[in-house]
Amino acid sequence: MLFWFEIFKTFRRWRTYISFTVIALIVILTEVVMKLSAGEVVHRMLRPFQRDFLITGNILNAWFVTAFIMNSLHIHIPFLITLVAGDMVSSEATSGTIRFLLIRPPSRGRIITAKYLTALFYTAILVIFFALVCVLLGVPLFGSGDLIIHHYGKFDIAFIPESEIPLRLFFAFAAAIWSMSVVASIAFLFSTLAENSIGPIIGTMAVVIVFLVLGNLPLDFFRNMKPYLFTTYMINLWQQFLNLRIPWPEIGRSAIILGLHNVGLFLIAFFVFKRKDIKS
Amino acid sequence: MEDLFQKEVVLQTKDLTKKFGRRWAVKNLNVQVHRGDVFAFLGPNGAGKSTTIRMILTLLLPTFGSVEMFGEDLHRNRSAVLSRVCGIVEKPDFYLYLSAYKNLEIIGSMTRRVRSREIMEVLELVGLAARAFEKVKTFSHGMKQRLGIAQAILTKPELIILDEPTAGLDPQGMKEVRDLIRGLTTKREMTIFLSTHLLSEVEQVATRMAVINRGELLAQGSVQELLNQEPSDYFIQVSHNDSALKLIQALPWVQVLSSQTDRMEVRLEGGRASELNRLLVMHGVEVSSFVPHRTLEDFFLKITKGKTEL
Repeated sequence: MLFWFEIFKTFRRWRTYISFTVIALIVILTEVVMKLSAGEVVHRMLRPFQRDFLITGNILNAWFVTAFIMNSLHIHIPFLITLVAGDMVSSEATSGTIRFLLIRPPSRGRIITAKYLTALFYTAILVIFFALVCVLLGVPLFGSGDLIIHHYGKFDIAFIPESEIPLRLFFAFAAAIWSMSVVASIAFLFSTLAENSIGPIIGTMAVVIVFLVLGNLPLDFFRNMKPYLFTTYMINLWQQFLNLRIPWPEIGRSAIILGLHNVGLFLIAFFVFKRKDIKS
Repeated sequence: MEDLFQKEVVLQTKDLTKKFGRRWAVKNLNVQVHRGDVFAFLGPNGAGKSTTIRMILTLLLPTFGSVEMFGEDLHRNRSAVLSRVCGIVEKPDFYLYLSAYKNLEIIGSMTRRVRSREIMEVLELVGLAARAFEKVKTFSHGMKQRLGIAQAILTKPELIILDEPTAGLDPQGMKEVRDLIRGLTTKREMTIFLSTHLLSEVEQVATRMAVINRGELLAQGSVQELLNQEPSDYFIQVSHNDSALKLIQALPWVQVLSSQTDRMEVRLEGGRASELNRLLVMHGVEVSSFVPHRTLEDFFLKITKGKTEL
């Protein structure tokens, strides 16, 4: 019951739909521009391999475009997630409605759990929406075909036959949901600590950006630090489903590490909220 | 039977204490609220009223002490206890983007399943039935205050805790809320714990009261009991002022403060107003009015030593 009320409240706020609108706009804009500049895109795609490979067929297809847009996942999606996840508890504190909730029979533990599950649900819905817009717009615009993909910083290209792509993309988006749930967990934790919505949004984005930057600095010190940054696993997890061979052990390890982050962050939020004095 | 009913304790704080940093917001507070009371929790701004209410409603954790409701420890049986209690802490806040009806449905369902009929009934009671399906963001402050009372009584709690329910309302709004509060005790047999810094409110609606200042309890008892402990000032209008004055001046427990042709101001020892009235009538003096002069305010200022701002 609490969970459904949280879902109802979340999806009755216009703020929730900002994210969906932004995603739709980004995908539509990217796909239309890619369609209009198809020649340039294909040229740039094939430039590193033109001397070694002879590539024919519909290269710039819906699957390639989807994978291309997915690469920007860790940039804008975290921000859109924090808009809602970072607001779950803090907005109730700001508006004063937290007092109404906490003087009722359900325990604080149940209330915070319902809110956390809602934040995860919203994250999942957002990524699913992202996937649907990419695919449903991409297929009519670009058609289907095999996926030829080059991962930045690696010396190989992956060739994935058309028949395998739907299942691989399904796993990739499921992994993306799992990755993004860590961002939701961070924003949610900040939301339990703050009394306003801006703090959790800025705080979460600061953490994500700093971790991404640290993980990409070309110095040994930062390279050694990379295994300890959740952003490393956040990006790798879904990308690995678009490798030539799916590295299941590595995926499992990344998923467990991200899962542990989720559990840890939620437990901190849970105990902070349980002991929190409501002064607002 | 009436006495037994009155004496059942529904809320009791035991050495309730809250410390914020080095400041004692509430210190060793012991208050008792009986079933059927309109219990006024009186104190100036910053006295610790809201902090106490927040501890009673589990929004703040006490530093020491405990709260018992209906004979059960609040923190051990939180869910069972809170299903019999409801309240408004400071101002009633709602989900502004939802309708009054939906707000009540969400809030009420956190206690038990509420039927549509019940929601409409309480909205009718507070005069908001016609606006049930309008978004709360379109409501005035007074309407939100009434909606706050609607949410407080929706699940038919036995004890309602109201934190300054008339704050920010115009005189008409204040009257409406006071009438509602009276109706809750008389028609619905609910017990009310009412925090306020308005002395007139206490005089008009409360049966028992406690006075708190700087986090400490200064007095507790029935409103009449507390007022009768102290000398009180009255304006008296009589038919024969001279003979009344002679009679009054002979009484050792009356002090005449001022006298005019048709009225006088006197100070009486606690609880003797009816005795003076009877004596005047027995001696053939017609008493046309016998009005207490701001007794509660005097009482309050005296016990808080006049150092507080009301």
